[in-house]
Amino acid sequence: MTPKKETKKIDVAKGFEELEGIADWFESGDGGLDEGLKKFERAMALADALKTRLDEAENTIREIKKRFNVTNEE
Amino acid sequence: MNQNAGGVQRKTVSHPGPSWCTIIMDMRIFQVSEFIETINLVLREMWQGEEIGVEGEVSGFRVSQGQWVSFDLKDGQALVNVFLPVWNLRVPVEDGIRVRAIGIPRIYPKYGKFSLSAERIELVGEGAMKKALALLRSRLEKEGLFDPMRKRPLPRFPERIALVASRESAAYGDFIRVLKERWGGLHVDVYHVLVQGERAPQAITSAIQAAQEGEYDALVMTRGGGSMEELMAFNDEQVVRAIHGSRIPTLVAIGHERDLTLAEEAADVRGSTPTDCARRLVPDRRDVQYELATHIGDIEQAMMSQVHGSRAALSHAVAAPSLWLAAQRSQLVQAASACTGGVRQWLRSMSERLQSTSRLLASLDPKAVLERGYAIVRDASGAAVTSVASIRVGSEVTVRLKKGSFDSNVTKTYDT
Repeated sequence: MTPKKETKKIDVAKGFEELEGIADWFESGDGGLDEGLKKFERAMALADALKTRLDEAENTIREIKKRFNVTNEE
Repeated sequence: MNQNAGGVQRKTVSHPGPSWCTIIMDMRIFQVSEFIETINLVLREMWQGEEIGVEGEVSGFRVSQGQWVSFDLKDGQALVNVFLPVWNLRVPVEDGIRVRAIGIPRIYPKYGKFSLSAERIELVGEGAMKKALALLRSRLEKEGLFDPMRKRPLPRFPERIALVASRESAAYGDFIRVLKERWGGLHVDVYHVLVQGERAPQAITSAIQAAQEGEYDALVMTRGGGSMEELMAFNDEQVVRAIHGSRIPTLVAIGHERDLTLAEEAADVRGSTPTDCARRLVPDRRDVQYELATHIGDIEQAMMSQVHGSRAALSHAVAAPSLWLAAQRSQLVQAASACTGGVRQWLRSMSERLQSTSRLLASLDPKAVLERGYAIVRDASGAAVTSVASIRVGSEVTVRLKKGSFDSNVTKTYDT
């Protein structure tokens, strides 16, 4: 699997929506094998992109906190 | 006796005869007005300028034309009329109370009526004084002079004070001493007055009125204890009205706690004693210092708790993105695992379908029938023979067994 074009600028909310849609598709059952495989690959790519996005966000939050000298939570 | 006064005409008639006759005949003839005038003169001169007062019980008290007061003064045996202008009446009088009327006895020429022309009226005895006081009090109360709704508060930190008191009195000393003990830097103007006696009410009234001209934060009037009579100046109607009319807030303390004068009742604030008066006028600097310190403490505490609150809100806000992120992460994990779980389930159901179809197909395979000893008969064209009707005796058929096949000639047919 190497379709890593989505990492940048993925819309997190839409990404989640699509990912959950795919999960529903599998749960409801019938569909072609090829279609299923394609969907699964798409799902994995989406999950990866979302994870990357969240990691980035976490890093950004950490950097901003450091920049403003905010000691960690609570 | 001055017999020449008032134009007295003297006429002596002399008769011849014994000397006593001259006495009898020694007659003075007056005109009526001259007579009255002479009598009045005589009455006036009688006590050589000494004041005279007549005591008795008041009856038939009345005021005519709003200017003239007239009543009878009587005891068990006698009665005398008393007459005076209303402005000379400085004490409340009604029928039944005992008074002392001070003035000159005279006959009113026009009606020839004998009366005591009074310069002033004094109340006699505590009973009368109390009665009169109660009378005045109820009149002034009806007028609204003691109305609690009219009372003004004193400023908490007065700076300029008008003090109406006797500079020689202990009350004055006490008041000033306690004032200085409690609070400093006050400007006190003393309006020195007589605080008892006949001239006191006028002096006090004038002092209150004079103080109105000054810029004061409070007008204080005080005197120490004394008998009811000694305190009467502070029950004087004019004094009470002056206090009531003061544009400066008033604080009055007369006598002891138990003494309550009308001036105190009319005042905005009443002090029970001169010392209490000072206490009511200014706060104690120690109390104020303490209060100030307490306030500062309170403010500090309030600010601290506000800072704490803000800090908590801030850290909450700072933590929010991280919490949000964590929630997103768990949502991601859930969605991704739903996908992987779903795909596994989906594959399993597909292979299950495959297996059952295969089983079905296996059961339909004709080879499986040959296994059990059945054979397939085909004609020369290769079609399966299922009835004797489609073959003839002498024709050739091919028989297929589980293992191998052979050709055969039909020698005979049977229907069953």
